[in-house]
Amino acid sequence: MVAFFTWRNPVFFSNAVFGNILADWSPVVLIAVGEFFVIVSGGIDLSVGSTIAISGVVSAFSMRALTANHVGQNLTLFLGLLTCVGIGILVGAINAFLITKARVVPFIATLTTMGAGAGMAIVLTGGSQIGDGPAKAISLSVPDFGPLSRPGIVIVFIVLILWVIMGKNRFGRYTYAIGSNSFAARAAGINVNRHLTKVYILSSVLAGCAGFYYYLLLSVGAPTSGQGGELQAIAAVVIGGTALAGGTGKLSGTVLGALILTTVTSGLIMINVAANWKQVVVAILIAAAVIIQEFRGTGGPGPIKRLLSRSSK
Amino acid sequence: MTTGKVLYEVKNVSKNYGSVQALTGVSLKLHAGEVIGLVGDNGAGKSTLVKVLSGAHQPSEGTVELDGEVRQWDSPHDALVAGVETLYQDSGLAPHLSVSSNVFLGREKFSKGLLGKLGFLAQKDMDRIAHENLEKVGIAVPQSNRSVSQLSGGQRQAVAIGRAVSWASKVIILDEPTNHLGARQAGEVLAVIQQAKKRGLGVIFISHTLPHVLQVTDRIVVLRLGKIVADAPTSTFDAESLLGTITGLIEK
Repeated sequence: MVAFFTWRNPVFFSNAVFGNILADWSPVVLIAVGEFFVIVSGGIDLSVGSTIAISGVVSAFSMRALTANHVGQNLTLFLGLLTCVGIGILVGAINAFLITKARVVPFIATLTTMGAGAGMAIVLTGGSQIGDGPAKAISLSVPDFGPLSRPGIVIVFIVLILWVIMGKNRFGRYTYAIGSNSFAARAAGINVNRHLTKVYILSSVLAGCAGFYYYLLLSVGAPTSGQGGELQAIAAVVIGGTALAGGTGKLSGTVLGALILTTVTSGLIMINVAANWKQVVVAILIAAAVIIQEFRGTGGPGPIKRLLSRSSK
Repeated sequence: MTTGKVLYEVKNVSKNYGSVQALTGVSLKLHAGEVIGLVGDNGAGKSTLVKVLSGAHQPSEGTVELDGEVRQWDSPHDALVAGVETLYQDSGLAPHLSVSSNVFLGREKFSKGLLGKLGFLAQKDMDRIAHENLEKVGIAVPQSNRSVSQLSGGQRQAVAIGRAVSWASKVIILDEPTNHLGARQAGEVLAVIQQAKKRGLGVIFISHTLPHVLQVTDRIVVLRLGKIVADAPTSTFDAESLLGTITGLIEK
């Protein structure tokens, strides 16, 4: 893919472009990894996009107030990050309450928080961007580790830690088990509701971190940040080969899925394809990923074996 | 065959769901090293009794006693910790997880040191021990790191039973374990039940397949319309009289 885009436009193969791609990738991979945990557990989280918006906006308000009161820039940014994480915990807790206590299906539960979050972000800001925060913010999103910025490095670390947890830790094991067969998980003594609460809070906290990332990138809190983020996250998970039914999937696939998604987006712009084609290309990628998954099956016989067994019956 | 001490006992248990009376005054004793067959027509109350025994439901009246002590299970997990394992119809395993992950589900072994305290798993140990434990109860599964969805129906059932038998310290409740199995696989399952009996466990075997019940149990308890209508040594039944007792054609 990189070769194709480079062939069409040699400028594509440059540090600056990779820097741009990774800058796009960083927030997407955060919400995609959160979405991955939720989907593996057998659920879905539609609220990650709005959580980016609402956390970015609330954090922008608080950082503006802190800056107006001459609080130091580093402390202001730190408190801004805490605000984003706090909003994430709040949204995740609401999702988890609706799903585990009120027994609302995840799709509907997170659809309501998605709508409420996006609406609140517009109501609070009147639709305008919230600036006047610490001046240092914008400088943080400049790439200074090769093509990666400092927040980008932090995000890579977060993803690495979550990758290890998914594969080697009890937390990951329980997430797979609940998505695979929640009845069996409960029968084995796993507190399914408590675990799902953690999973939804994780997803929203990562979305809150993505909200903070967008603030650094733009140095304003925009109520439209993260719009469509939930679909990007789900697309990355699906392109990464994870079944929406839950119980299975690799986190590395989701990380790659997010990279493919953002590379295609940048690449198409670089080779002068109209921006509106992006959605079509992403749609094709999703369809291809799902078809490949269907053929590969979930551990059953491969497509050729299945064809053979069908003809012999 | 009631040589061992009384291991698990329900006394005068009733259970109603709203106005529906599912169980009425059921009393049952299970001895160590004994296999009880629990039979009855659909709607006779077998599933309800299993739920009471496994801790999934609390009885409306009556008590459950383990080793002579009155116990109240608030969840199946309570019963599990106390040594009462239940194998549910068809749904006891997580198909996407490996054999060993299933065997150790909810009882994971952790790495040594700090990583273990943080919840990191000792997967290799679990793979090895799962294999050994399954072999000990007479189940040969090719590789314990294979995913359960790759196993045949019989192998899956064997893993589920192997897990229950290898963890149970006192009682195993097997709900329709030979359902959907071929003759040879069912035979393997019955052999595992004999193994469990030899180890001094108490086994409650629920089945619709009467020949299996007659073959493997020491005592048969027949439920009809929520009441126990017969509780007698297996040797006093034959296929015909058992069927008659279940349907109510023969009063025992």
